[in-house]
Amino acid sequence: MRTQKKTFPTWCRSCRRGYRHAAADTSERWRPNGTTDPTRNMWRLNKVRHKSGRQGDSLEELRLKRREHERALRQARRDRQLVSRRLLLTEDEDQAEVTMDTASEGQGVVDVFHKIHHSGPDREAHMKVLSKALRDPSAQLTFIKLENSMHLLVGLLTGSDARCRLQAARCLHELSRSPHRDVAPACLPATSYLLTYLSGQSTRFTELCLYTLGNLCPDSEVVQQKLLAQGIIPALASCMEIQRHNPAVVEAVGFTLSQLLQTNDAAVKVIPTVLASSLPAQLLSVLAPDPNFALAPAIESAWCLHYLTSSSRDNKELLSRGALLRCSSLLVSLGGAEGNKEEGLELLVCPLLRCVGNLLCCCPVEELNTAVADPQLVICLCALLQTYLQTQPALARESAWVLNNLTAHSNTFCSALLTFNLVSGMIHLLPFSQGINTLILRVLANIAHKKKDFCVQLAQLGLLSALCATLKMADQEMVTLSLDVLFMLVVSAPQVAEEFVQQGGVSLLEAIQYNSKGEMRGRATYLLEHHLLSQ
Amino acid sequence: MTSIICDNDNQNKERLSLHVLCLNSESSTVTIVRYCLDRMQQPQVRQLLGNARYDQCPIENPQQLRPSESGDRNPFSFTPQLIHLHKDHEMFEDGDIHRHMYLQDLYTSDKDDKPALSVAEFACHISGCSAVFSSLEEYEHHYNSLHRHVCSSCRRSLPSARLLDIHIQEWHDSLFTILAQNQDMYQCLVEGCGQKFRTSKDRKAHLIGIHKYPPDFRFDKSRKDKGGRETKKQLHKDAAMEVVPDVCKSEGVCEVLCEVLTDQPEKEESMEMHVSEEDVAHMGQCASAGEPADVSAAAHGCTGMEPQKPRYSYRVPTTVCFGHGSVRGFRGRRGRRK
Repeated sequence: MRTQKKTFPTWCRSCRRGYRHAAADTSERWRPNGTTDPTRNMWRLNKVRHKSGRQGDSLEELRLKRREHERALRQARRDRQLVSRRLLLTEDEDQAEVTMDTASEGQGVVDVFHKIHHSGPDREAHMKVLSKALRDPSAQLTFIKLENSMHLLVGLLTGSDARCRLQAARCLHELSRSPHRDVAPACLPATSYLLTYLSGQSTRFTELCLYTLGNLCPDSEVVQQKLLAQGIIPALASCMEIQRHNPAVVEAVGFTLSQLLQTNDAAVKVIPTVLASSLPAQLLSVLAPDPNFALAPAIESAWCLHYLTSSSRDNKELLSRGALLRCSSLLVSLGGAEGNKEEGLELLVCPLLRCVGNLLCCCPVEELNTAVADPQLVICLCALLQTYLQTQPALARESAWVLNNLTAHSNTFCSALLTFNLVSGMIHLLPFSQGINTLILRVLANIAHKKKDFCVQLAQLGLLSALCATLKMADQEMVTLSLDVLFMLVVSAPQVAEEFVQQGGVSLLEAIQYNSKGEMRGRATYLLEHHLLSQ
Repeated sequence: MTSIICDNDNQNKERLSLHVLCLNSESSTVTIVRYCLDRMQQPQVRQLLGNARYDQCPIENPQQLRPSESGDRNPFSFTPQLIHLHKDHEMFEDGDIHRHMYLQDLYTSDKDDKPALSVAEFACHISGCSAVFSSLEEYEHHYNSLHRHVCSSCRRSLPSARLLDIHIQEWHDSLFTILAQNQDMYQCLVEGCGQKFRTSKDRKAHLIGIHKYPPDFRFDKSRKDKGGRETKKQLHKDAAMEVVPDVCKSEGVCEVLCEVLTDQPEKEESMEMHVSEEDVAHMGQCASAGEPADVSAAAHGCTGMEPQKPRYSYRVPTTVCFGHGSVRGFRGRRGRRK
């Protein structure tokens, strides 16, 4: 069901998917939906787009297509070729139109091109036709092979007719989405102009240029080199500065930067320049939970920060700018907000978790308490664990990973887990696999490692009987880790050793003495000899 | 000339590190045991430790025989670790896919495509057993059925400690064999009955007649061919310290009761199964080999059997590797009936 066009985003009532409706006046796009509480709207992703497909597609077919697509993306990631290009819709279309129109054939493109080349006042109309035609991949190829086609386009892009500039930009935008490797390099003549326009004031036009540049980045090293040489990073920085009050443009800058940061040589060619610019500070300011906060730009910024922190182990620059504090505070407020279950929130939670996780690696323990000001971060992380366990186990696993890094060297956070009564909940997660239980056991091991008193508390909370089960698991890492944790518990206090014996632990360890792996046998023997049978 | 194994199956602190094989001379005892414990990984060593007699006896000169290094080093290695994940790390895959689906306008709040959360599996870790289970109960049942009461000499799994005791006594104890010539040694399998019989046939008749047992009760297979041959064999092996192929000596259908073997896909196990079927055929050959010298010939003749079936006592230093494919079972603890 297609909804009527409105000036602000709404939800389609029948299929509960959101359509992005372009406002006639761009300044209205971000107006809240008439709710009085601005903070409530802060968390709602105003555009959650979807591919509508053809009208005839059933839900099941759609689902199949999605799954197929997902498979393709996974394979692309494994090949280190995961690349996405975004489509910015024109003002007067919505998603449903995108795939509806059968694209013109190659001949159509040629005809239109000639018309544009020769015509006068109708040019703009023809260019609209051309841009629609260029949605089709084969038309894209045809176009770039036409003699002087790019030259013409660049001429229009830089000409005196503002509307033609817009249409030329739109044509380039369509070209930038091409899956063919030849197309992006063909667009190189236009890039210096696109970059120049980033410091302009027209928001819509700037957005278009940004997404075009972002789409051109991946896949082509030639293009990347050119863009970097032409100063794309300073251009992005100044654009973000100028347009910081316009969420749509901020989102577009974030997207373009994230595309650059994902390129193969980014660690060497892109990141040092980015870190030296004002971009990190600006990205962080987008994450501030102030009244200007909007979800979509925050998502892009967070992903940029993730690529920055995960590409190298040295994140002192970002740490000094308070990145850990900012990301962790935002996580805490996300975890606590009623918007926790809002759609699209995990798109922000995910990169934030990763930033916090990786930033913790280079934060010295002494500074941890100031860098992560709120000990309630552990509550938030445990809440995220439970929330996402069934729906997105990968996110639950990442939360557990962050908990590990948080508790590895910090007495404060280990103690917080005990104080806030979070340990029992964690113990209940030990049956789950796919890496969740190993990470959680690591966290518990981190706690046990700190103090004997913590060990006693852990034993009281039921860790011993949980270990009796984990020692029988198929996963060797779990068994080894369980033995290590068991050792720490057993040596902490005699009553813990006694309790373990009472729970039948001795026969369990005796069985492990017949394990095929020497390190298991050795551990079991050591425990039995030195600590459990010495009575 | 009997070999005695000191079973440390009590609360003795030294229970696991000591395994004294007392042979004739004092010096050879010391030598052999030391050798065993120093060369833990050698398969031959296991042979020396093999004897299924489980007397309890005090350990002589424990200090002398105690190995110097095993078990004293703390093997635990856990330290808390910070984990930095690169952007291409596989743990980030799902989140990245989700992100790119969103970028390509394929994001949906449709919850029907929930990825399934999986529960960890349990696995039997007894060396050689590769059974896997989806629940703890399954694991426990498997373990109790197949590993708890296993004769380490012949790997047969018995359902209870008592039956295992009886099995070991009747199958692997040369002293029993000797005594049984003159007195009633075969006890009734029914707990509490207490009657003893001169031969296993008598006992079987008693079980069927009095206790209404089925005539083909699986846990009452009798042995043929007891006596000197086994002892001689023992000495031969012990002295030679070489790998001697173990020959199955049972009469009747050598049913392999250890169901572990049916589960395992490993080649050795299938050989074992193969053995049991062919056993009747080979038995004649094997049984007739009386001299130690013929052992290897007999073994040779019994092709299709495992090349090596280590005989070892049930309390083995845990640092001894039993080699791939061999099931290391152990009997239920005598001193610790539940």
